[in-house]
Amino acid sequence: MTEVLDRRTTAQPPRFGQLFGRLLLAGVIAGTLAGVYSLLVTERAIAPALELEEARAAAEGAGQEHAEELFSRTEQLVGGFLGTVLAGVVLAVVFAAVYGMVRHRLPGRNDVARVALLAAVGFGVLALLPALKIPANPPAVGDAATVGTRTAIYGGVLLCGVVGAMLVAALVSWLRSRGTGDAATALMAAVATAVLLAAVMVFVPDNPDTIAADVPAAVVWDFRLASLGQLAVLWAALGLAGGWLVDRLTRPSAALS
Amino acid sequence: MTSSPHALSAAGRHRIAVPAWAWALALLGLFGLYLIAQDNGAVLASLGDTAHELFHDARHSLGMPCH
Ligand SMILES: [Zn+2]
Repeated sequence: MTEVLDRRTTAQPPRFGQLFGRLLLAGVIAGTLAGVYSLLVTERAIAPALELEEARAAAEGAGQEHAEELFSRTEQLVGGFLGTVLAGVVLAVVFAAVYGMVRHRLPGRNDVARVALLAAVGFGVLALLPALKIPANPPAVGDAATVGTRTAIYGGVLLCGVVGAMLVAALVSWLRSRGTGDAATALMAAVATAVLLAAVMVFVPDNPDTIAADVPAAVVWDFRLASLGQLAVLWAALGLAGGWLVDRLTRPSAALS
Repeated sequence: MTSSPHALSAAGRHRIAVPAWAWALALLGLFGLYLIAQDNGAVLASLGDTAHELFHDARHSLGMPCH
């Protein structure tokens, strides 16, 4: 028992290259699963919005010149899948660098717990937070004139989330260094998170768009939930597959064989 | 103090050296993702447009602002 503990604590950390390869593989897995989810669920929520757009174009009359679509609908479905896989890969590349930087500071008994924790934080900051402040919208909802403003708000919210997560992490390590108990530390971290979340909700400007009256609420909300579900699949798969793959690299028994 | 499992896992773990190429690759990836998600073509007009049309559904479903 002590031998195992000793090995665990004195073991050299994995080389970054090994970590990177495994997390990249997890990113491909996560992107693929989220891509499958997008084809099965999210695209089904996008379809009514596209029908609405077509109905609008038809109502505007034949005099209006209809913009030629660059890709067929099937090609766009493939593109949506590929785009999600690509997002998973890029996310994994960023995740690997951040995980390598913070691994020695993350709590958790093994790499499954630590990778899952960082993925949970990533989901909270990069998926849940923007979903609360500037929720995803299907086609036919956004105003093309405000896309710059909305992108700036979205980017600002992500930035606030990253800074907020770093502040909470700094608070936790400060409390730990002072010998504060786990329960008190968790409580203070939760309070700090709530305060920061409230600050983002109050002080960051809202989406300037108003949703047109011809868009049913169900079309918007089905899509928002589908989108959040897709991001949850992406992060959960990255955290679990990544954790499992990295743990196989660092588990003491693996070092013996 | 050091015999508690808490201290062991927190202090006993070594720092991993993250090479510069990893950060460069991460930034490059994020920039690439931004490029193909945006249709305003600020950087590469024609590529931006084509890529945006192809990856359009992913842009919406991943929660990025669009039309
Ligand atoms: Zn769009």
